[in-house]
Amino acid sequence: MTIEVKNIVKKFGTFAALDNVDLKVGNGELLALLGPSGSGKTTLLRIIAGLDWPDSGEVSIDGEDALARGASERQVGFVFQHYALFRHMTVFENVAFGLRVQPRAIRKDEATIRARVKELLDLVQLDWLASRYPSQLSGGQRQRIALARALAIEPRILLLDEPFGALDAKVRKELRQWLRSLHSEIHVTSIFVTHDQEEALEVANRVVVMDKGRIEQIGTPGEVYDSPATAFVHGFIGESIVLPVDVSGGSVRLGGRPLNIAANGAASGASKLFIRRHDMQIGPAGSGALEGAVRHVRSFGPIQRAEVTLSGEGNTVIEIDAPRDRELQAGEIVSLQPRRYRIFAAQD
Amino acid sequence: MSTESGFVTSATELRAYAPAADLSIASPSSRDSGAQARPRTSPQHLRTEPGPVRFVIIGLAVTFLTVFVVLPLVVVFAQAFSKGVGAYFSALAEPEALSAIWLTLLVAAISVTLNLVFGVMAAWAISKFDFRGKTFLITLIDLPFSVSPVISGLVFVLLFGAQGFLGPWLQAHDIHVLFAVPGIALATIFVTFPFVARALIPLMQEQGTQEEEAAISLGASGLQTFFRVTLPNIKWGLLYGVLLCNARAMGEFGAVSVVSGHIRGETNTMPLLVEILYNEYQFVSSFAIASLLAMLALITLVVKTVLERRLDEGQVPYDH
Repeated sequence: MTIEVKNIVKKFGTFAALDNVDLKVGNGELLALLGPSGSGKTTLLRIIAGLDWPDSGEVSIDGEDALARGASERQVGFVFQHYALFRHMTVFENVAFGLRVQPRAIRKDEATIRARVKELLDLVQLDWLASRYPSQLSGGQRQRIALARALAIEPRILLLDEPFGALDAKVRKELRQWLRSLHSEIHVTSIFVTHDQEEALEVANRVVVMDKGRIEQIGTPGEVYDSPATAFVHGFIGESIVLPVDVSGGSVRLGGRPLNIAANGAASGASKLFIRRHDMQIGPAGSGALEGAVRHVRSFGPIQRAEVTLSGEGNTVIEIDAPRDRELQAGEIVSLQPRRYRIFAAQD
Repeated sequence: MSTESGFVTSATELRAYAPAADLSIASPSSRDSGAQARPRTSPQHLRTEPGPVRFVIIGLAVTFLTVFVVLPLVVVFAQAFSKGVGAYFSALAEPEALSAIWLTLLVAAISVTLNLVFGVMAAWAISKFDFRGKTFLITLIDLPFSVSPVISGLVFVLLFGAQGFLGPWLQAHDIHVLFAVPGIALATIFVTFPFVARALIPLMQEQGTQEEEAAISLGASGLQTFFRVTLPNIKWGLLYGVLLCNARAMGEFGAVSVVSGHIRGETNTMPLLVEILYNEYQFVSSFAIASLLAMLALITLVVKTVLERRLDEGQVPYDH
């Protein structure tokens, strides 16, 4: 099933939660809506589900106008951040709910419903919890039951709102992999909302980065990480060093001093230089574009993280991830040469 | 009056605080350690006041309760049975008494049923939707608690009385509101309106709209959502509100006194009849009917305690 969103505008009072959003989701995709809180990602998800209504714009599911139907008629599976399980029903009845409220004409008989619920509980590997109540489950179990319940109605699309947001780190990681393998098994077109970049990059096959009600970039995890389209995306995904620079006629200046790097076609004017922490090459003093004194070094795993005070730049401190082939010492003067970098116009 | 509304807030506060307490229990492991720690924080260790101080405070409380609550109750029953069990039951079998009992039950049935519907609707609107004038509506719901019942009754006299706003029209159509069952029911509905709504609003606000949204996204209609999801979640709170509403409806004096007209055997409710008989020095009859109201209070108290326990047990263990 495909989803198409066109020119969606949604305002809460004077605050524009969604500002002319366009989005196309292909059949069988697992798409992540990634952005900070207040970026409009949950609002967009709720509009697709029919739990919120846009001020203007179009939403179509499989070419069919979705806004002409209410949430209960859209056959959209929705998984809530806080699970929203029916607290007075057993796990079994929670999953069966969507089947039991069907109009009498198409409602299945009790035996079919039971078989279907059993099948879904097997799918989420929690059939042994069927007679428990939601309050007796762990967070991860609740979320899996919420997913089974959403799948019971054979949804045309599956929407997940911060599905792992309320879980602790370890359970999150497990569920991420589990969701990805579940998706490749059932292959229903899915959108999930997250503010966790790692989650988005690891699970989704395409990532939509949002900020302030607008879509900043749509791309594969590799694309949004390696070639961020905007300064926001570069700053939001991955860890970046950001330096204020001036671009004029193809040369880049930092605090009035020319940097030995190409402007790569960046427009003249006040700009920001973005470098990934691990894209900074460390060399002996006097050999690179920047120079600084190592202030502090922490080593863990395969990298050492160095805090470097740049010389002559009002004591700007940057953090660099370097391989551990040569151990750095505090107090050492090093030169820094960006291997890869991007320059974006500064926007204030 | 104030104590009754006090009950409502204290119980709902209990419920509102409980999930917050659950939040602090982050993981199953710390939950276990909490359970192990419990014996150490037994009431023994929580006692900080010296023995004599405790003794005096508890003694004062017990004495106070005895003088102001237990003693009057005992006196009611003692007076009712002062001429023997036979006199007690024959007093209750008087046509006037039977009529008052019947009228009270009728009025309570009408007003509790209507307030159940109004209260659920008001609580639903306030807790599940955002709209202009919501704060005003909440204030309005509390109005009957802050107005003297006598004034509440007078409002209806001004509205429906012979010289009242709607009086001439009603007379022209031969509809009797004042000094008849409709007037008594209206006054009682007005006075007891807040109970159901007040019991439900905090409960429903705390539960939020997510379960309803989940039900709708699973294809449930509005009615299915209400009867299968919302109602089961609020049933104990609803019963609690209905119970207090009923107790008040049966015991209401002031507002009903103004609109009833005290027509013997016709428009006297139990509380009104108690006063009339007392003024006529028929102490046994008066206290016999009063004893029925006292028993209602005792039953209400027991059921209320049970319901509060269900509310605390039933709703809480859903931490996020």
